Amino acid sequence: MENLLYVWAGLEFNFSTLPQQLVNGLITGAIYALIALGYTMVYGVLRLINFAHGEVFMLGGYVALFVSWGFGFSPEALQKNPDAQSSALILVIMILVAMAACALIGAIIEYFAYRPMRNQSRIAALITAIGVSLFLQYAGQIFLPNSPPPSIAQQVNPYQENLKFDLISAPKETRDAYTAAKTESDNLKQQFETALNGRSQFDDTLTDAEKALGTQAQEAQNKVSALEGEIAQKSVGVTITVGKLIMLVTVIVLMLILRFLVMATPAGRAMRAVSHDFESASLMGINVNKVITFTFMLGSALAGAGAMMLVTFEGTAIHPFFGLQLGVKAFVAAVLGGIGNIPGAVLGGFLMGLAETLVVWAGYSNYKDAVAFVILIVVLLLKPGGILGSSKVEKV
Amino acid sequence: MGKFWTVRIASVVAALAGCFIFQTVATNLGNDYYLRLFLLAGLYVTLSVSLNLINGITGQFSIGHAAFYMIGAYTAGILTRAYYEQQPLLPELWLVIMMLAGGLFAALAGLLVGLPSLRLKGDYLAIVTLGFGEIIRIVATNQQSVGGSYGFSFGPKVVAPWMVCLLAIITIAICRNLLKSAHGLPFLAVREDEIAASAMGVNVTKTKVAAFVLGSALAGAAGAILALNEGYLNPDIFKMDVSFLILTMVVLGGTGSITGSALAAIFLFLTIEIPRNIQTADGQKVQITLASLLMAGLAIAIAISLLRKIKDHFHGPPNQRLIRNLGVIGGSIAGAIVLSMILNATTVMGDKTFEFDKLRMVILSIMLLVVMLLRPQGVLAHHEFSWDFVKRLFRKDHDDKAEVAS
Amino acid sequence: MSESPLLKLDQATIQFGGLIAVNNVSFELNKGDLFGLIGPNGAGKTTCFNIITGVYKPTSGKIFFRGRDISGVPSNKIAQEGICRTFQNIRLFQALSVLENVVVGGFLRHKTGLFSGLTLLPNAIKETDHLREEAMKLLEVVNLSHVANHRSADLPYGMQRRLEIARAMATQPDLLLLDEPAAGMNPQEKDELKEVVYRIRDEFDKTVLLIEHDMKFVMGLCERIFVLDRGLEIAHGPPEDIRSNPKVIEAYLGEPV
Repeated sequence: MENLLYVWAGLEFNFSTLPQQLVNGLITGAIYALIALGYTMVYGVLRLINFAHGEVFMLGGYVALFVSWGFGFSPEALQKNPDAQSSALILVIMILVAMAACALIGAIIEYFAYRPMRNQSRIAALITAIGVSLFLQYAGQIFLPNSPPPSIAQQVNPYQENLKFDLISAPKETRDAYTAAKTESDNLKQQFETALNGRSQFDDTLTDAEKALGTQAQEAQNKVSALEGEIAQKSVGVTITVGKLIMLVTVIVLMLILRFLVMATPAGRAMRAVSHDFESASLMGINVNKVITFTFMLGSALAGAGAMMLVTFEGTAIHPFFGLQLGVKAFVAAVLGGIGNIPGAVLGGFLMGLAETLVVWAGYSNYKDAVAFVILIVVLLLKPGGILGSSKVEKV
Repeated sequence: MGKFWTVRIASVVAALAGCFIFQTVATNLGNDYYLRLFLLAGLYVTLSVSLNLINGITGQFSIGHAAFYMIGAYTAGILTRAYYEQQPLLPELWLVIMMLAGGLFAALAGLLVGLPSLRLKGDYLAIVTLGFGEIIRIVATNQQSVGGSYGFSFGPKVVAPWMVCLLAIITIAICRNLLKSAHGLPFLAVREDEIAASAMGVNVTKTKVAAFVLGSALAGAAGAILALNEGYLNPDIFKMDVSFLILTMVVLGGTGSITGSALAAIFLFLTIEIPRNIQTADGQKVQITLASLLMAGLAIAIAISLLRKIKDHFHGPPNQRLIRNLGVIGGSIAGAIVLSMILNATTVMGDKTFEFDKLRMVILSIMLLVVMLLRPQGVLAHHEFSWDFVKRLFRKDHDDKAEVAS
Repeated sequence: MSESPLLKLDQATIQFGGLIAVNNVSFELNKGDLFGLIGPNGAGKTTCFNIITGVYKPTSGKIFFRGRDISGVPSNKIAQEGICRTFQNIRLFQALSVLENVVVGGFLRHKTGLFSGLTLLPNAIKETDHLREEAMKLLEVVNLSHVANHRSADLPYGMQRRLEIARAMATQPDLLLLDEPAAGMNPQEKDELKEVVYRIRDEFDKTVLLIEHDMKFVMGLCERIFVLDRGLEIAHGPPEDIRSNPKVIEAYLGEPV
């Protein structure tokens, strides 16, 4: 693994950074997947693109921010008391409040905007969704703090240390050389310290021999640094903060909980029935209104959790339009996986995250936002129902 | 000379007269800012009616119309920058050439987007058109040859209000002619039921692609006018919001109604642009208090729920219904004013103020929601303006009297 | 006289996943036939129509119309060839008026280009007027001329079925496929429908292939009947033979006790 840099058609593919990018992609993808679930579930039961879902996500971010302020992490409070300590409990409260608030917002939007549109044409419902989305964005611009876009204080996240995993180590001779150099450097340093005997290294009373020893120690130290750099270059590893790892795990846990809710509870069964056949389900005695509210709450709660984690662990700044781009991409992810299909949304989300970081990795970071749509168009042309979706044959 | 030619010549003359009036009004506004608003409103008529051809008449759920507008504009901008210096022509003639070029390139893009629509339906098509718009915009943002996100400028600026009007008239005429002749029926049939249309011999593929190509070409021509009018372009002019705005115009006016799209375009455009410039007598921005804002919101919410109740549960004669509706509207306005006056006196809600021009997009979204909740088929639904209707309007009291007499 | 048949199904088969919806079906229709296709629910009758009209492509086997292979040709081309159909679950263009529905059918034979339509040239106006007149005539045949300007979705059920027939007739087909034209009609409406079908055959010189559930209706109307059950042919012949065919009775009533 001497040379991990490949050049093809004028592009540089540095394979030593690939694993790191894949991990980044996985984390971005986890957030996409979480939002995509909300789109896909609502589409499943109502056949409606809930354009306002991105805004629910945005509001979730703000709720998390406000909760953190409540715990004494607002800019003013931090000025008075910069040493405020965060804890896991605060984070748990933040995520729970964000989820609950988003669930409530989702239910309110459903009740006031979408329920009256249920018997109207699909395009009218879609326009209503766009209207709600615009309303939340621009009303947010008026009522929510947004200039400059606030972000959650760093101190809130107690899990900032890096974890480093080596996949491919540097060649043995380099590592050996490093160990040897390190020993020598330490040795020289020790000798020099002893010789100095408490004096500063610039002290006038230093003899020439002692000065030479100092220079030698310095050179050994430089060699160690050089070898350190070489090792970093030749080894392939992944660095991830503990917080992001927690985030990834939480997303997976939430997905498992969702799966349990949908597959193994009566409410989930009702939800599946409604998404299969709206009218028959209501004839079978299922309270469709309840199911739809439940679906909205579930999807919105996931968005709230995603928003809280994104702003806390990634430190993303929040502004009223921040749900738009993410929301559209997550929706694309849902379509990619096959809209209405829950595992499809998860798959689509992760694929989207990976695809984006791969594009960045290949040197096209400017086109990061376009890749989502390119993939979408290609997939839809090859498989119009999405990857896991079934393209239904219309009965004639 | 038969009746046909008489009518045709009369309508062409009327159209030209309309353009002349438009030109006269536009040049006498005396303010470049208002002139620009006037022109943009005209362009939005073209955009909205051309999207209506795709969305309303053919039923293809396209929500990325700004992409075609952008392609037309960039085509005109790039060509002008590259060739105008070498071939100085009469600016108006150059504008026409650019409109054709912009229209052509936008039509090609329409073909490109129309082709997937053969396989995709409804929401899937919607998201592909939206994605197409985003891709075009991101590509332009990353092309340094057109200035990337900073945009690029070019000359000459051609400000031709009459051309804006003419394009709008041509667009409306094309759509109206289509609906008047049997040629429009396949488009409507595809919207209603593709399988049945196909069984009746309608070439569904060709029809959809024709709608996309035609609609995009018109939007592209509008883009070319915009480009030469501004002399400067950047990708942010064509954000997703523009697509949504055009779509909103179509839906608000009544999907499928040409009259509706055209009127909604003017109305909506002015609704979001005029508040930008409202000023108090001493040139300050208009401020609105938190109390007024909250009360207005409350009044709208209450009015909507009451109006919906009347709509669903009141079955009396139409004039009674009208009285009730007006009562609700008047009552909520009065209530909002009174309550906000009271609350404005308090320190908490009366002291916090907001600039009115920041509210314009909120007003747009609320208007959208109000229309959707009260009249989801759009204000004009599928109705069209017709001279018969005008005649009936004027004859109405006539008929009423006749009825009373008999 | 060995005239080639108008329509010929040659071992047509279509399979959806594991289900063979139509299995090796062969029959021939001659010009002027009034041919009935019957069978219990799920027998594959409508699927037969769908493969004839190009909605689905047969998995194997061939379909010939006037001696030409039309298997797998798209729907709209088949309509141009001269086969048109109605639908079991009515598929009108709901927002269009009754007259417009029929004009859509007639538009198949249009001669002016789209450009004439967009600019409303005299030839397009003339053609539009002509199509409307033709459509009115057809509406008279099916007794719907009095509701020509109503929205088609607002018509009662029986009228919608007749409108579908008029719309299909407007494409000037040689072969008309009627999918359960009498479904949901009362006895009087059925008698009227019978008259319409006879007129279509005799006055307009069409060949008719129809699917029907109502045995009495089919037996009284059709000259030849083909019986399908679970995708397979179980009988074929004149009504008298079908009536007494034990296999048909078994398919409809179950095995005799």
